[in-house]
Amino acid sequence: MMVELVPSLLRQEINRLSAEDQRLDGRGQFDGRNVQLEVDCLYNAEGSAKVVWGDTIVFAGVKFEIRTPWPDRPTQGSLMCGAELRPVAHRKYEPGPPSPESIELGRVVDRGIRESGCIDMEELCIVPGEKVWGVMIDIHVLSDGGNIFDAAGLAAIAALRTSIVPAERFDVGEDHTLKVNGTPIMASFKRAGGRFVYDPSEEEELGGDERIHITLGDEGHLHSLQKGLKGVFTPSEFAEILEVAETKCTELRKMVAEKERN
Amino acid sequence: MGGYGDVKLLRDDGKRLDGRAIDEMRAVTIEAGVLPAADGSAMVTHGLNVAVAAVYGPMEAHPRKIQRQDRAVIDVRYNMAPFSTGDRIRPGFNRRSREISKVTAEALESVVLVERYPRSKIRVEIEILAAEAGTRCAGITAASVALADAGIPMRDMIVGVASGKIEDTVVLDLDKAEDNYGQADLPVGILPNTGEIAFLQMDGDLSIDEYNLAMEYNFKAAKEIHEVMADALKRRYERGDA
Repeated sequence: MMVELVPSLLRQEINRLSAEDQRLDGRGQFDGRNVQLEVDCLYNAEGSAKVVWGDTIVFAGVKFEIRTPWPDRPTQGSLMCGAELRPVAHRKYEPGPPSPESIELGRVVDRGIRESGCIDMEELCIVPGEKVWGVMIDIHVLSDGGNIFDAAGLAAIAALRTSIVPAERFDVGEDHTLKVNGTPIMASFKRAGGRFVYDPSEEEELGGDERIHITLGDEGHLHSLQKGLKGVFTPSEFAEILEVAETKCTELRKMVAEKERN
Repeated sequence: MGGYGDVKLLRDDGKRLDGRAIDEMRAVTIEAGVLPAADGSAMVTHGLNVAVAAVYGPMEAHPRKIQRQDRAVIDVRYNMAPFSTGDRIRPGFNRRSREISKVTAEALESVVLVERYPRSKIRVEIEILAAEAGTRCAGITAASVALADAGIPMRDMIVGVASGKIEDTVVLDLDKAEDNYGQADLPVGILPNTGEIAFLQMDGDLSIDEYNLAMEYNFKAAKEIHEVMADALKRRYERGDA
């Protein structure tokens, strides 16, 4: 990734506004930007979603393949979620092998989905010891306008929940919807101007400090946590943003459910 | 090309499997300025193909050895998303995408006024989100609109179009089945105002007469697509949030 020159003026301005409980784009501390979700939008992907989150645009696509199960888990399929921060998404991204940032993004989203248990690996078994489904979610960031984590998490679970298992193409039965028992959702916070804000913009990411990503399941349980970048926080700060995350995740979960019904 | 004449691609009424006439193009829609982070961008849907292009720059060319003292270099990356095809493709460059990137860059260098920006670089990123035959053409069309959206001066646009041959018949704009089981494919990049050609590839088997007919179809289609491109850019500037 190209080295970003953090303009100290931007940092100063964020600090000044923060002292007056304001943000650069006029939002309140825990206000999110406008989110649009579209599902089943790409031919060839067995499940797909497009998320437009402020100036951030993320696509996710689900593909299935048949593979041999691991010897120690003969009745279990597999799930993998990967992310690509390709140079299309921002001038700061450069071509080359996957960067630590894109690997972190893919793995944090992967953990949230995997650990929520929404995919029963046993359900992905076709013939024990011989054939199981491998489910692959690929996250494709097209425009990084800040907070790609939440957009990627939303796109991934929405694509997964609307997937059709392509059994006919592989000659192993009839096509059927993928069984997904839950909707894990991520909420991300960034320290900007000394305090945590929800859904950081590109400028806040540039002129802020550490970030915290929280993935919550349907029951409000934690399934994935990640602290990134330099900085420290207190338990009471975490308690405050966790409460905000609960509200945000519930709202977004409703949005996914609405798209599924249509 | 895949097989030769072993799959029926023309119906008894002379139409193609998807109901198109032999000189009929798939539907094309274009939107300019779709990616907020980019300096210029466009999304093209051509049939079921979805191509997105982003332009960054002109910017400093680095490393310095790629700089040209008298002009800008155009750095194109054509990439297919892992979920864009029937079987998932592993992320990263392969021989096919490298070749397409190279010839696309050379085509764009033929129309962009690169001499205006010595020692700089213009990045063009083409991402294929859904592929159903004809992605390189959709990518060239998207790149042209994205360059215009970025305000980079060009002699002309380039329109990506293709014709080919199925069951010994020349047809415009091959779809997936026609591409897999047809006999020839002729993708070109046409400059709609000057009538010149900036991009040319072909594989399969065409007689000279068949080539001429395929080119005639390509020029006809380029005119239609150019209108859609121009319309997308007009709508972009009417919107005015550039």
